[in-house]
Formats: sequence, structure tokens, C-alpha cells
Amino acid sequence: MDVQYINPFIVAAQVVFKTMLGIDVDMGKPQLKNTCVTSGEVTGIMGLAGDKKGTVAISFRETGAKYVYKTLIGDECETVNQDVVDAVGEITNIISGQARKEFEKKGINLNAAIPMVIVGKQVEMNFITKLPIISLPFYFAVNNGQGDEKEVIYIDFSFE
Amino acid sequence: MNVLIVDDFSTMRKIIKNVLKQIGIESVIEAENGKMALELLKKEQIDLIISDWIMPEMTGIDFLKACKSEEHTKKIPFIMVTAEAQKGNIMEAIKSGVDNYIVKPFTPEKLQTAIEKAKERVGK
Repeated sequence: MDVQYINPFIVAAQVVFKTMLGIDVDMGKPQLKNTCVTSGEVTGIMGLAGDKKGTVAISFRETGAKYVYKTLIGDECETVNQDVVDAVGEITNIISGQARKEFEKKGINLNAAIPMVIVGKQVEMNFITKLPIISLPFYFAVNNGQGDEKEVIYIDFSFE
Repeated sequence: MNVLIVDDFSTMRKIIKNVLKQIGIESVIEAENGKMALELLKKEQIDLIISDWIMPEMTGIDFLKACKSEEHTKKIPFIMVTAEAQKGNIMEAIKSGVDNYIVKPFTPEKLQTAIEKAKERVGK
């Protein structure tokens, strides 16, 4: 896959997490995924179509999803309930919007569908492309950076 | 300041409410679409409108046009929130009299600046 398709997702993740959540994310090593299953436990998935087509999945661990909810909404949440699912859907929507803006700068116009959220680990997903899926891990500190605790978010996408 | 947030998605209303809280604005009224918002505007004293673009029943742009054509609502600062960064959309909102717009994602500081500029534009 052309590197020009990867950068918009990296920029989008960094910009959205910084502006909406005040979080600096560090990108880990990109990997190729051979199986089409969710990487984390709460996953927002979105189809993109237009000049190109593809699918993007933004996957959180349960703790990460609850942290996102707490930071976005300002309320605590004990379990992954509908509110947490909706917050993950919205952050997926915003990251996708930001990525589309980055693609637009390269002259590639894309439209997005409404995000769908899957709860569960290793759940099979339907990607519209046949190409390999690239998985980008992003790490961030929780608890205001106190302690060594790190969360991870995976952005998995396939694009052609 | 009494703010009317118009968005069909309750999570986005909660997010905006949380951002407003961070800049010291706690008095908020919510509506799911433009139609509901127009009804609320007849009954409530509103000092600022923050509206989404894509909503069922009545879209943000139709709601904006309705607000700007009514005597009792046209002076209320109107901010459009959109994830669609396409210039065409923004231009349409500007032509329809939007006082400011903000593209998601945004920081509390960016929203505060948008509010101040919108208030200035209507002379409040």
C-alpha cells in the first residue's frame, strides 16, 4: 500500500486525540494483519468511498474506551454501556472526518458512512477491500501521566 | 449565558456540554433537531445557538435560515458545528448568515474564540 494512504490516518489520530481529549499519542510499529478481526474490545468501524474505497476500524481496550468516555463527556462509567459505545462511535466519526480532510489536501475526495461499533475482542469484521489490513498502534499515558500505565488504540485500515 | 445546543446525537450534545463547562458555561438547553429548537426558541431566553449540520426533520442550514429570518432570533449568535470540512458547506453557511462555525475536532479554547467572534458579529 502506498504510504500516502497511511499518513492521513496517523495525522488524524494525533490531531483528534490531542484536541478532543488532550492526549499525546505515540505511534508504535505498523503491522500487517492477516485476519479480519477486531484488535481491541470496543471498535468503531467505518466505510469510506469516493475517489478511493476502504474501511477504517478504531479499536480500544475496555479501559481505553471508558477513559475516552470520561474525558469526552466528563462522567465516570463502570462498564461499557450504550453511552461508551456512542462515544466511541463519535470519536470514530471525528477521526474519519479528520482523515478525509487530510486526503482532500492530496486531492483525494472521500465520503464516509455512519460508524458502527462492535463490542468484543477478535470479532470478525467485514472490510470492503481485499488488500492486507494495516494496523497502527497508538499509545498514550492515562492518569495524567502518573505511573507507567499505558493505553493502546489500534487504527486498522485497508485502502485501495 | 443560556446556550441552546442542537444535535440529533446525544453523545455530541454531551461532548459540547462538557466543553462548555470547561470554559465556565453551565446553563444549557438541548434540542435534537432544528424543528424542536425553533419551538424552544419561542419559549426560552437563548443567548447563543450551537448547532450541528446534518440532522433529521430540519437540517442545521435550514434551521440557521429560519433563525436569521425571524426578528426575535436573528440577533442570537449562531455557531455551526460540522465534521464536514468541505469549503462548499462552510460557504453556504456564511451566505446564510452564520455568525461563526467550528469544525470538529475542537478544543475548549477554539470554541471560546468562536463564541466571542460570533457575539462580536451580532454586536453583543
